[in-house]
Amino acid sequence: MHAHDTVQNPAPASLPMAGQAIAMPATSSVTLACTGEQYPCRHDESLLHGMLRLGRKGIPAGCTNGGCGVCKVHVTCGQVHRIGVISRAHVSVEEEAAGYTLACRTAPDTDVTLDVVGRVRRNVMRSVVGGGNATTSESAR
Amino acid sequence: MAVMRIGHISVRVMDMEAALKHYTNVLGMRVTHTDADGNQYLKCWDEWDKYSVVLTPSDRAGMNHVAYKVEKDAELDVLKQKIKDYGFAVAELPAGTLPACGRMLQFTLPSGHEMRLFAEKECVGTDVGSIDPDPWPDSIKGAGAHWLDHCLLMCRFDPEKGVNTVVDNTKFLKEVLNFFQTEQVMVGPNGSIQLASFLSLSSKPHDLALVGAPTSGLHHLSFFLDSWHDILKAGDIMAKNRVRIDVAPTRHGLTRGETIYFFDPSGNRNETFAGLGYQAQRDRPVTTWTEENLGRSIFYHTRELTESFINVYT
Repeated sequence: MHAHDTVQNPAPASLPMAGQAIAMPATSSVTLACTGEQYPCRHDESLLHGMLRLGRKGIPAGCTNGGCGVCKVHVTCGQVHRIGVISRAHVSVEEEAAGYTLACRTAPDTDVTLDVVGRVRRNVMRSVVGGGNATTSESAR
Repeated sequence: MAVMRIGHISVRVMDMEAALKHYTNVLGMRVTHTDADGNQYLKCWDEWDKYSVVLTPSDRAGMNHVAYKVEKDAELDVLKQKIKDYGFAVAELPAGTLPACGRMLQFTLPSGHEMRLFAEKECVGTDVGSIDPDPWPDSIKGAGAHWLDHCLLMCRFDPEKGVNTVVDNTKFLKEVLNFFQTEQVMVGPNGSIQLASFLSLSSKPHDLALVGAPTSGLHHLSFFLDSWHDILKAGDIMAKNRVRIDVAPTRHGLTRGETIYFFDPSGNRNETFAGLGYQAQRDRPVTTWTEENLGRSIFYHTRELTESFINVYT
């Protein structure tokens, strides 16, 4: 299986017997600096998947496969590791060394704090449709 | 009627093994060729030419080029001159530049997308053959897509600065390549700005779609299925394979198509598209969707745009 599949759907090694404790996977706390949103995230799932799985919000979700770049984050505190390929159109090698990554391809090792960077782009539908002139940033959502 | 249909699309993938699993197991395509550079060539069971999708290894997602097939090789010379006369640069790539493919014209659309035209590609036949064929082969995998149907290109659009490459592309495609318009979305003051343009070469509601966006890119490549039930089954296949679904089964107002949007493992958006909607003809009145009904034009049931559908592309 592709790594991403196992991350999204880890199969239990065996079903627990009645009264037997279920081994809980290691988790860390993820904090989004801009909104204060906080959620637990497993060490074997992406920062984005952990958020989506719990129905939480704050990091824009797009392709979830490292290609579209809307979930770009800056890890300002804590340790993380990559769990898949990320598009160099959105995160350069230099940026990655400075703590930027895509939340869909990064898992926590410790509690982490993130700035949501996203891609700041003018939303055509909002600026033209309705006659407004809004500039939206994914980091604001 | 020289240009016939979409011939192939070349897309970048960041993990070839995962991409091959996706395009074969989920969409049901088959690899027909692998070249020395590791590029993979695939076809659907109902296609007769050797390939319709080219996957190229890269460090990013997105489209390399889209190619349309012309009926006769000699027409490429006429089209080359027409493109030149329109004022665009056009290169001719010799036969064999892509495997099993004849010479290609190569040019850039006003939106920045690379388009190619070719007339000849090795015909390997459909998987049911052409003599007393069954309606479908026993070898079908996954969603069992019939053919690469169309693609949607996001086109640089900033009307306040006078930039609308949806309009520029449409003009070129109609005047030079003989596409005809089936539908459009008009927005802004008095509905004067063309935000989306749907173009056909055949009796299908679209062979190419163009939508305005802050930057140009690939919104999706779409694969044809027969029916609404095939769409539901495709959704089941995607769930089984843990594919990221962007838009669950629904209907478009535009084209009347039945659809699912989802992402390949590199984040390139795919669509499975069913129902031919209506018979597109050159004299059929163009369908216009107004700004007020923009949501309904795209998602007919919910009538609301979604953030990811608008903002996410490669």
